Amino acid sequence: MPEPTGVIHDIGYQRYTGLRLGRRQVFGALYLHGVRTVFGLGRSAKAKIFPWLVVGIVGMVAAAVTAIRTQIGEVVMTYAQFADAMSWLVIFFVAVAAPELVSRDLRSGVLPLYFSRPLPRADYPLAKLLALVTGLWLLLGAPQLVMFLGGAFTADGMRGVWDELLDLLPGLLYAGLWAVIFASVGLLIASLTGKRAFAAGGIVAVFLMTTPIVGVLSILPSQTANQLAGVASPPTLVQGVGLWAMRDLLITDQDGVGPDLGPFGPVYALVAVALVAACVALLLARYRKVAAR
Amino acid sequence: MSTVAWITARGLFGRRRFLLLLPLPVLLVVLAVLSRGLGVAPSDWGPPVLVGLGLAVVLPVVALIVGTGVLGAEIDDGTVVHVLTTPLPRWQIVLPKLAVAAGVTAATVAAPLFAAGLLADSVRLGLALAVAASAGALAYSALFVAASLLTRRPVLLGLVYVLIWEGLLSNVLAGSRVFSIQHYVIALADRLAPTELLHTTVSMPLAAVMIALVSIGFSLLAIDRLRAFSVAGETS
Repeated sequence: MPEPTGVIHDIGYQRYTGLRLGRRQVFGALYLHGVRTVFGLGRSAKAKIFPWLVVGIVGMVAAAVTAIRTQIGEVVMTYAQFADAMSWLVIFFVAVAAPELVSRDLRSGVLPLYFSRPLPRADYPLAKLLALVTGLWLLLGAPQLVMFLGGAFTADGMRGVWDELLDLLPGLLYAGLWAVIFASVGLLIASLTGKRAFAAGGIVAVFLMTTPIVGVLSILPSQTANQLAGVASPPTLVQGVGLWAMRDLLITDQDGVGPDLGPFGPVYALVAVALVAACVALLLARYRKVAAR
Repeated sequence: MSTVAWITARGLFGRRRFLLLLPLPVLLVVLAVLSRGLGVAPSDWGPPVLVGLGLAVVLPVVALIVGTGVLGAEIDDGTVVHVLTTPLPRWQIVLPKLAVAAGVTAATVAAPLFAAGLLADSVRLGLALAVAASAGALAYSALFVAASLLTRRPVLLGLVYVLIWEGLLSNVLAGSRVFSIQHYVIALADRLAPTELLHTTVSMPLAAVMIALVSIGFSLLAIDRLRAFSVAGETS
């Protein structure tokens, strides 16, 4: 039996000795990638069609409102009312963005790769949720900024600009409320299925089927049911919280009657908080299960 | 029943996610029973439940999920090739699938609408709603089956139609109702059972002609698109 003649050559493999980034950087990268995914940045033109269609429509509405205000001087809608008027587009945008964020990863089975990094289970869904919230807030906030610029440049003196700014800030906060509630509900539904098509259909079905419940509850022969009706649907829930917190910014028409909340304003706020908490808890539970596979 | 129709029906019913379609019709009936039971006037609860939920949400959303599911799902996971390589003319693939989609949608939507119409007004209104919704189911299904051959994202394209065109524009621009299946269905139902509950600006003959045109036109388009169908991997 001859002696073994094999040699082990050194072909230059090296260990990585550089800096290893930790949890925060992983979270940050995931978040940034998520925000880019929401708007289809860094992807093909086909992935940009639907998000930018919504952005385009919302931008056009803002431009029209601004133009009417600067030319004719008539305030068509306030900053806070802008979010309410765009509710259907927000639903569509969530149906486009949420499946892109989570369903693709579920479908292609890459989650084990994510969780092999120094990334706790909870961080992945939270980064995605934060990205969707940011995307929605930008969608609703950026047009308000356009409206603000239009208003500021036609305002007389610094005093007028300051008043505009005081109107804008609650509007941006209100847009944030919209973003948080819609993102948490939408992302939870999208995380249930790996098929983008079903996720989009499910999100729209859930948001749309709750609206007529409000319609029926608000005509029942019970005042308590009428005043609590808005709780049943995310858009009217957000509206209820807004009406409770800043009524004069949402209802500008003197004789316009908004939904009557009665004494239940704080209930709306509590339900909103509970809804977001429940959605986040379910989302985390869902990813504990998915990640274990 | 042809083999294609059989396979399609099994593909729809064999999955657990078909059960996700049930809450919508059930909700429709529950709301109608609740309103009726608590003694709300039909003129108050009729429009939000029958039109707002039934014809504007349940019918298009069910048609969208089913219509894109019969062909779009197979294109999505690539199994459509198995059907395409059989020596079947393309119309014998599209038409059975369309029939299954329209039939399933009509069955899912017409039954609760009949119940809700019965509770709101009369058997006549229930029947009118069921018939009109079935006609609408055919038109919607043809539209969404064609959409799943025109683009890789048929659900989103369908949502653009349902949410932005029918949901937003029809309320703002009354003229765009001439191209809205939802208003054809309302016009049809209103003609079959004239009540105070349904209102539209579209005339009945126009609605009937347009429903037929949409159904036939998009079926032909789908057959034509499937003739020139190119099998490609998933993009982006």
